[in-house]
Amino acid sequence: MSGGGSLERERRQAYLLVAPAVLVLVGVALYPILAAVWLSLHRFILVFGERRFTGLDNFAFLLSDSRFWSALGNTAYFTLVAVTVELLLAVPLALLLNRAFPGRGLLRASVLVPWAIPTVVSARLWAWMFNPEYGVINRLLPGPDINWLGAPGYALHAAILVDVWKTTPFVALLVLAGLQGIPEDLYKAARVDGASTWRMFRSITLPLLKPALLLALLFRSLDAFRVFDAIYVLTEGGPANTTETLSIYAYKTLMRSGDFGYGSALSVATFLCVVVLAAVWLRLLGREEVSR
Amino acid sequence: MGRRFASLLVPGLAMLLAVGACRRASEGASEQAGRKRLVFKYQPLWGAPEPFHELLARFERENPGVELVTEALPNSSDLAHQFFLTSLEGGANDFDVLVADVVWVPEFARAGWIADLSEYFPPERLRADFFPGPVEAVVVEGRTYAVPWYLDVGILYYRTDLVPRAPRTYEELQRFAREAMAKSPGVQGYVWQGRQYEGLSCNVYEALWGHGGEALAEGGRVLLDTEPAREALAYLRGLVASGVSPETVTGFSEEEARRVFQEGRAVFMRNWPYAWSEAQKPDSPIRGKVGIAPLPTKSGEPGWGTLGGWQLAVNAHVSPERRRLAAKLIAHLTSPEANLVLALNYARNPPRPSVYDDPRLRAGDPFIANLKEMVERARPRPVTPYYNLISDVLQSEFSAAVAGLRTPEEALKRAQKQVDHLTGEGE
Repeated sequence: MSGGGSLERERRQAYLLVAPAVLVLVGVALYPILAAVWLSLHRFILVFGERRFTGLDNFAFLLSDSRFWSALGNTAYFTLVAVTVELLLAVPLALLLNRAFPGRGLLRASVLVPWAIPTVVSARLWAWMFNPEYGVINRLLPGPDINWLGAPGYALHAAILVDVWKTTPFVALLVLAGLQGIPEDLYKAARVDGASTWRMFRSITLPLLKPALLLALLFRSLDAFRVFDAIYVLTEGGPANTTETLSIYAYKTLMRSGDFGYGSALSVATFLCVVVLAAVWLRLLGREEVSR
Repeated sequence: MGRRFASLLVPGLAMLLAVGACRRASEGASEQAGRKRLVFKYQPLWGAPEPFHELLARFERENPGVELVTEALPNSSDLAHQFFLTSLEGGANDFDVLVADVVWVPEFARAGWIADLSEYFPPERLRADFFPGPVEAVVVEGRTYAVPWYLDVGILYYRTDLVPRAPRTYEELQRFAREAMAKSPGVQGYVWQGRQYEGLSCNVYEALWGHGGEALAEGGRVLLDTEPAREALAYLRGLVASGVSPETVTGFSEEEARRVFQEGRAVFMRNWPYAWSEAQKPDSPIRGKVGIAPLPTKSGEPGWGTLGGWQLAVNAHVSPERRRLAAKLIAHLTSPEANLVLALNYARNPPRPSVYDDPRLRAGDPFIANLKEMVERARPRPVTPYYNLISDVLQSEFSAAVAGLRTPEEALKRAQKQVDHLTGEGE
């Protein structure tokens, strides 16, 4: 009886202790989301000085807005290619870092440098290097100069390259953590059975790495889908909107055009896309956990 | 338990209260001393701060009891616009005088964020004292909403050692460029700003005016899909397609163009006056080999450069008394004397024609004095409250045309459709 009472008290105490954190979260996370949803149901353009409720009009327009679809396409392409390349590069990198060799600590630390530089700074750095007239990349590459940031076919790929350069180390670190969780005994047993290195990688490393890979996939694809800073610094969405992502379109509509209603609708659409993406990954992750 | 909860909450609340109290205290303190605070938001002027501070100090001396506070804005025009958008929309009244980019005034006036200053600065008086372009940019529907502070204009730079004289027509520009390129391999013809951003729009408007066009029709409708606009975009695309301009201009903003020109690798450049002092630095490879001229046109008459620059306006949310004081500060900061201080110390172009004839300016900075002819012909971008609303659409379509992704006809049709959609319902 008295034990139950103390448990009850502890529970209440726990709620009270988390209450400030929950309040802060409601204030800084939930309120802006709800406010954006509410705004997205209005026609609210600052220069017109009017604000009226229009229901789902903004979303109806969004469905017929070719600029929205091309931004969505750019965002999806960016996410798909960047995250795939990052995973493909990160796994060998993590395998390398997992080996014992002299100078491993230094290499592990230096691999993280790109990730530690603020995105805006590294994007500015890359913008200089990509500069078609005096940038270092065209000097290093043989063949004719490439118009990296000004040509429609190249600009988005240049942005992907910057993202890959910046976040591969982060993915490698996640994979490395996964690798270190695999018991050494499994490899010993496999070696006794005469398994080849490839066989060990396929049958032991990869399956046991799956949770870590899925986690990396979840983190990175959600992050890549909201990409703003790197692309904004590199191209501001140009040329001809070929590098415009959903976040950039929403930002321009909100902050440059002062179209708060439609800009909020774009933000809400981006938010919904990220939620769907997160739900899909979490489901996969969850199933992975269950099957184990 | 309740106490523990309180112990968590109290520091947070106390902090909030302290912040509020501090703000109130600072306001109260200045009022107690009988001093009036006047807050001026501006972008930093590059150069030694003393002459500008002296200008502000003079205002305080001439207006005893006024405490002038300056607050810096982010240097990027986009970020400054974002700041005003959010703070003025929220009714902020913690600053009195603000500096506005030339394309913001109609937008801010329409939104009711900046005060009508006609009683202090009647439009007729502005017309008598200032160049026509900047006056057109600050007078909205016959009322004055801001006063020109300093201005900027698009001009043509050319290499005096590579071409016989400044080109007057587009045809001449291309011919001179080709001849010079043939004589000195590795040198490019004409560099300008073709990246998708506001600078591209400026280049397009200049080509539009140079082909005899206007970007705004009667009744304030933004009219884009016109014959001169098609010619202008075809001309700009043609520069890239024919090799007179390198293909890479589609990724250029001001600095990219300036660097190529400054390294001696281009015959012509379109840029703002700031590039001059860089080109004339002691270690500049093109020092002494650069001339400036009005942009060429189709017909050969001197071209119209885009008007850039900053204006001073008053926050509409402040009290009438502070408004009056703010207008006084604007009068002080835009006086011919102040124009001269800005021109001589910060290379900012005076918006008053009379200042260009001042012997002190001629002796101090002949480059600025020589700009008079071009500044006189500076034209504002379409003067409409919708400018920022539509400029994004324009940039992407102009970019598509210049990069060769769409024909000028297609790009303009698409732009016109989107602009009509954006502005149509607000009428």
